[in-house]
Amino acid sequence: MVSIRRWATPWLFLAPALLVTALIVLLPVANALWLSLHDVVLFRPKVRPFIGLANYVRALGDPVFWESLRHSIVWVVAAVSLQFAVGFAGALLLNRTFAWRGIARALIVVPWALPSVIIGLIWTWMLDFNLGVLNVLGVRLGLLSASVPWLAQLDTAMAGVILAIVWQGFPFFAITLLAGLQAIPDEHYEAAEIDGAGMVQQFWHITVPGLAEVIVTSLLLRMIWVANSLDLILVMTGGGPGTATQTLPLHAFLTAWSGGNYGQGSALAVILTLVLLGIVGIMLWRRRET
Amino acid sequence: MRQRKGRLRLFVGTEIPVAVMVAFALLPWLWMMLSSIRPERELTTSPILLMPQTLTLVHHITLLSRTSFGQSLLDSLIVATGAVSLGLALAVPAAYAFSRFRFRFRNYLRAQFLVINMFPVVMLILPLFILMRQYGLLDTYFALIIGHGTFTLPFSIWLLTSYFEGIPQELDQAAMIDGATRMQALIRVVLPLAIPGVVAVGIYMFIASWNEYLFALMLAGREVRTVTVALQLFIGENQIQWGLLMAGGTLVSLPATFLFLFAQKRLVGGLTGGAVKG
Amino acid sequence: MKRRTLIAGAAALGATPLAAPRAQKPVTIRWWYHFDDPKATPDELVATFEKANPGIKIQAENIPWGGGGDYDTRLYTSLIAGNGPDTGMVKFNNLARLMEMEALSPLDKWIDGWAAKSDISADMWRLHAAPDGKRYYMPLQYVVLYLYVRLDLLQKAGVKPPTNFEDFLTAAKATTGGEQWGFGMRGGSGGHDSWMPFVFGTGARPVKGGFVSPQALAQNRYFIDLYRTHKVCPPSAPTDGFLQIVNNLKASRTAMAVHHITTANDMNAAFGDSITAIPVPRGPGNNGFATFGDGSNAVFSASKNQEAAWRWVSWLSEAPNNVLYNKAAGQMTVTTSGAANWTLHPRRFVEATTQSLAIANVLPSVPAAADFTRTAWPQNTQKALLGQIGPDEMMQNFEKLFFG
Repeated sequence: MVSIRRWATPWLFLAPALLVTALIVLLPVANALWLSLHDVVLFRPKVRPFIGLANYVRALGDPVFWESLRHSIVWVVAAVSLQFAVGFAGALLLNRTFAWRGIARALIVVPWALPSVIIGLIWTWMLDFNLGVLNVLGVRLGLLSASVPWLAQLDTAMAGVILAIVWQGFPFFAITLLAGLQAIPDEHYEAAEIDGAGMVQQFWHITVPGLAEVIVTSLLLRMIWVANSLDLILVMTGGGPGTATQTLPLHAFLTAWSGGNYGQGSALAVILTLVLLGIVGIMLWRRRET
Repeated sequence: MRQRKGRLRLFVGTEIPVAVMVAFALLPWLWMMLSSIRPERELTTSPILLMPQTLTLVHHITLLSRTSFGQSLLDSLIVATGAVSLGLALAVPAAYAFSRFRFRFRNYLRAQFLVINMFPVVMLILPLFILMRQYGLLDTYFALIIGHGTFTLPFSIWLLTSYFEGIPQELDQAAMIDGATRMQALIRVVLPLAIPGVVAVGIYMFIASWNEYLFALMLAGREVRTVTVALQLFIGENQIQWGLLMAGGTLVSLPATFLFLFAQKRLVGGLTGGAVKG
Repeated sequence: MKRRTLIAGAAALGATPLAAPRAQKPVTIRWWYHFDDPKATPDELVATFEKANPGIKIQAENIPWGGGGDYDTRLYTSLIAGNGPDTGMVKFNNLARLMEMEALSPLDKWIDGWAAKSDISADMWRLHAAPDGKRYYMPLQYVVLYLYVRLDLLQKAGVKPPTNFEDFLTAAKATTGGEQWGFGMRGGSGGHDSWMPFVFGTGARPVKGGFVSPQALAQNRYFIDLYRTHKVCPPSAPTDGFLQIVNNLKASRTAMAVHHITTANDMNAAFGDSITAIPVPRGPGNNGFATFGDGSNAVFSASKNQEAAWRWVSWLSEAPNNVLYNKAAGQMTVTTSGAANWTLHPRRFVEATTQSLAIANVLPSVPAAADFTRTAWPQNTQKALLGQIGPDEMMQNFEKLFFG
């Protein structure tokens, strides 16, 4: 009796979440997986022959796929690491005591509280060649010799959209890490201070280990989120100029909805999931090793 | 003397960097807000004028009196609040189970929650639409609440688990020895200590729902129209209602910011006040 | 007006009774629309129609056009899921796909008996015909792309408004200098509309082989060279969308741009008589190509009340109603009688539009058309503008996309 209860307790706690997730998320994912094995064309809903892995073979043989994958890697690595760096610094600063801390904490949430479409439009406009405020300021302050068409150049377009997503996403890290900092008892710092540890030592020996769990989790989650997000790119460049900012999810989206090739789009989505799964698996596995 | 030195250090080492970061967060937003109270003609003057010549509230007035944006703000508030309530009700027990029990498939299940969020949502919208249609849920608050609440679950469960793991197990064991059930131990002992984490996750859920567009467009949009959908109505085939978009963007960011202004007080350490930690 | 319950089923599903006797019950027609101006509503039109047709209720559903093809995405999803509207606004670039889905109901049987048929011009009917000879789309609103010209800037530079491509280049060069450019090129999404007049302006046509015909290839090189060689467009041209080209014109950063009557009142307010519109340049022998910007209604084949849907759709295309409708939509009426007394835009812009109707043309109706406008055109054009591919390769890609 006791052992059954012991066995059942965690499952009772998990059951509601599992049930809803299976219904709302797992079912559609399984459906998409199934569709990826068929030749599903959006405007031919009546015929969808089974074609095995043909969609996958075609996807991997397409140079556009590899280009999109490369862009995705740049996009994720740059966006997440910059968001993390700014956000972590923010969390440490906002954890200190100063008079206007409460207001500062609230104000920093503003970028995060805006819908992507608005963020995309503001940044497109601020980076605009003709009427963008950043170009005007840059020229006036002497940082730029002339206006730069940031989003229309092959070598600066990606930086432009990354700037926008860093702005959008750094508050997430600031807030989650700030909450994590609260779980580190003050006694640890006091003890370290008595032992003569300096600020830097305290940071590496108390703050980082104390936050490790939250850091890894938030990095992991943000990475997945950024890897899948396409709305900001869609609004700002649509993947252009050319295909300079086209990432994998955008490629899947355009293939499925504008190209009408839904089966192919689903296959691309599955591949993206597998790539992420591999990366996350390695990260989790290496962590267990250490 | 020492006090003045400390004040200076606080100013240079903390307040100035914080001010820089707040400026980074706010300046684009302020530029948007400023352009929502300028006549549109000023925005197409080249080179753009940094300081407005005339101020006008015409965009805000139009937005609230001649479009249904006010109703959309209310809809978004209902959906986001519902999503946070549902999401926390599901995520807190699940995260507690992951942090307190070692059971078969634990690691697989935890990973599974991540995997499902790796799939791009745009490719799930068609199956979901058909599903929601079968349940007769299209265009209801409930469709969006359950959609948003569920899609934020993986992140929320993972984050909460890592916060819960920072709270010593001995505490709930002590409570249970005193006669509390598991659920009571969770609610009375663990939850109060994990408040900063719960607040952070709650904010994450609120904002995720508040900003979500695809579900809100596809699974609702007529009877229930959230702000993200309402804003997209200002982006037409041949025209963008710039003034309305900027005014709408300004208003949209306010609720979450105010909410957080109050919630951030709860971000103060649950483990201070002498609670034991090994 | 809005009735809500927290867990109520979709009203739309409940509203279609299976085969119940509904002779006395009014039928509800779901109509999807999108207006550029969110302040505009069709409420008044709906009320007038319902008064005249007591048996029919119109449920007008405003679907965002959005930035990323949202209207289309939503339309396809609901059609596939069997939850589509009875009727709704549609674009030409989706015609072939919707036909292949068998989602459209042919309107011929009704159009031929429709009293107001002759008030819509032959040109308009020609453009609205489907490749199989039937008619599925009901003309509702339109624009024709024309060329905005800043007369004051051209005069200062000593050139006349251009009517052919040679003069256009001369005028663009003459008005370029410093912080000002002659031509506001639109290389971003949707720019194909203002590109087609250049490429098909000397006789080539968007038919099989037409994209790679010598005239089209030469004209496309001319177009790309405007940016690359002559540099008469702002450096941001590859990704500029309509917002940018309109703003640049308003900010006097450009002297000419291709757009249409939806921005005429704005331009008139900004510059008065200093700005005008003329038909797009054309090659020798008067072979012009003015892109037709369409907006139609379709009746969907899954609708159980097609007759009633047709009543609404045809009523919207009759003169006084269509004028009222286009007042809200910001475009031009498709009725000849309505256009004659058109007062919603200054006359010179209306004339540039109606003069261009005779040379108005559209893309071929093939399933790839939607992909072309959304993805293939901006991608290939931007690559050509930035020198990643040659202009001829760009045209070969288009030919392949359209005709295999």
